[in-house]
Amino acid sequence: MKRSRIVSLALLALILVFGIAFPYLGASNFALSITTTILVAAILASSVNFLVGEGGMASLGHGAIAGASAYGAGWASKQGMDPGMQVLIAFGVTIVVSLVYGLLSMRTSGIYFLMVTLAVGMLIYGLAFRLSSITGGENGISNIARPQWIGNLAADGWKYYYVVLAGFVISTAVLWVVSRSPFGASLRGVRDSESRMRSLGYTVPAYRLAAFLISGIVAGFAGLLSVWQTHFVSPSSAGVDRSVLLIVMVILGGTGTLLGPLIGATIVILVENVLSSYVDRWPTILGLIFILVILFARAGIVGSIAKLLRRLRSRTAASPGGPPSPSDTSVSSTSNAA
Amino acid sequence: MFEPIFIAQQLLNGLSFGALLFLLASGLTLVFGLMRIVNMAHGAFYMLGGYVGVVVATLTGNLLLAAIAAAAVVAAIAFIVEFGLLRFLRGQELPEVLLTIGVSFVMADICLWIFGGDPHNLPNSAKLQGVMTIGGLSYPWYRILVLGIAVALGIALALLQNRTRIGAIVRAGVDDREMISAMGVNIRWVFTGMFVVGAALAAVGGTIGSGMQSILPGVQNEVLLYALVVIIIGGLGSIAGAAVGSALIGLIDAFAKAWIPDLAYFTIFLPMALVLVIRPTGLFGRKA
Repeated sequence: MKRSRIVSLALLALILVFGIAFPYLGASNFALSITTTILVAAILASSVNFLVGEGGMASLGHGAIAGASAYGAGWASKQGMDPGMQVLIAFGVTIVVSLVYGLLSMRTSGIYFLMVTLAVGMLIYGLAFRLSSITGGENGISNIARPQWIGNLAADGWKYYYVVLAGFVISTAVLWVVSRSPFGASLRGVRDSESRMRSLGYTVPAYRLAAFLISGIVAGFAGLLSVWQTHFVSPSSAGVDRSVLLIVMVILGGTGTLLGPLIGATIVILVENVLSSYVDRWPTILGLIFILVILFARAGIVGSIAKLLRRLRSRTAASPGGPPSPSDTSVSSTSNAA
Repeated sequence: MFEPIFIAQQLLNGLSFGALLFLLASGLTLVFGLMRIVNMAHGAFYMLGGYVGVVVATLTGNLLLAAIAAAAVVAAIAFIVEFGLLRFLRGQELPEVLLTIGVSFVMADICLWIFGGDPHNLPNSAKLQGVMTIGGLSYPWYRILVLGIAVALGIALALLQNRTRIGAIVRAGVDDREMISAMGVNIRWVFTGMFVVGAALAAVGGTIGSGMQSILPGVQNEVLLYALVVIIIGGLGSIAGAAVGSALIGLIDAFAKAWIPDLAYFTIFLPMALVLVIRPTGLFGRKA
């Protein structure tokens, strides 16, 4: 158990070192911009992963939360406000939207939760489309200003890359700390048995609401980062397809794992942005991969590899009837929740 | 804005749109009631049904033929999805839903491939022509026909469920799966049958609906939203709930689009929020 933690920490450090060194390894501007996109998507996916993995709440509305935050920043920019105000308004919108989601969904679980978040997400998408006086309608908002210090992305994209990398590290760390806290433990309790937690005196809806707020704020942060990268927001960035892709990332990578969102986001963004220039039918390929993962590898890529390694180790090392490692059960319960 | 004729027109708009919603929502709610699956591919079934219907109607000029062809094609695909994929996940709620999301994703993309991105509409040759005129009010016959089809179908479904042996098996399956299996009914085939029927209903809805609003990429998500809102309001698994919810949402949507077009989405969402807060199981829903 202890060794596996050391291994995963070492792996994390390795990825981080690679991430920091990446711009110096002769990465082209295109590679940098794709990697930045992947990191933003990974932040968003980790906010979904936190809800699904710890709370058993599969949300189909997080794309719209990020979209609402991006629209907040875009609207502020259109009014000529400075980036500081953009941040303030983006987070204000995020918190209000997450509260609406949370209040409506806190008494539901499982597929009901999924449906409520889906409906609220579609509502935000619809508002983005129809409230054209604020959102610019179908055309969205373009030429959104970003802070001066980011500079020109086309010339030196590495600066913003580091900003997003730092954002990814911070949000992952925050979500990890929250998951390991007593609050995270209670949340897993709610996931595994709502009735038991209720009879122990926990106010279950309050826990769900708090979890949703935390996750929503991380999603809003990702929305802000994406709007500073692309200068642009349109209804499609708040659409259901985005939210579905987020769930695809989480499940592909491995629900409830630390690295899963990054791996899932990498695969989905690469298929969407790189494979799509060779194959027209990339959504079909992505959909088929998703279906295969659900049918055959519910633990996702990270979860399946971890399971495989554990099995190999137990076969070589602990052959004289060693007890099953406790982490085995935790993985299977998260994959059930997924 | 508040003249009687305008009101009557919006009333009919709302009811005929509600009729379309009922074709969608009844299949969704039946499948949920029996199998506890929220079929996220329902919108994609509607879309494929619409495309096939429009193509067949353009070739033959016959609406009935178009609806039958659409129902047959979509039913075949739904059979493959149920028999080939969903069966392996039986009883695992979330994976089942996620799988149907994947199916919807793939189907929408393949539809875009085959039928392109242009809006498809039912050709006039296959539509009931003319307008009904009562006093100062004139209204297209086609929409009246849609209303009639939905009412007839609703009555047929209710009779089927309450008066026939098949309906009895389905109702028993909703109440107690183990017991009905023990009585010698192969519940797996009942599930498959229900899934296929639900999909065929969506396909008929798509064909008929293509005479009211275009079928184009993205429509699968929009109709899915409406259908979900309807069954959340009506109560999951209830045909009566689907009927009441459809009429309610259809009317609210029509009047909102006429009076406060900027907030059209908001107004269908508000009753859903109210229902969720006051009565989470829906108007006609039962405690799970």
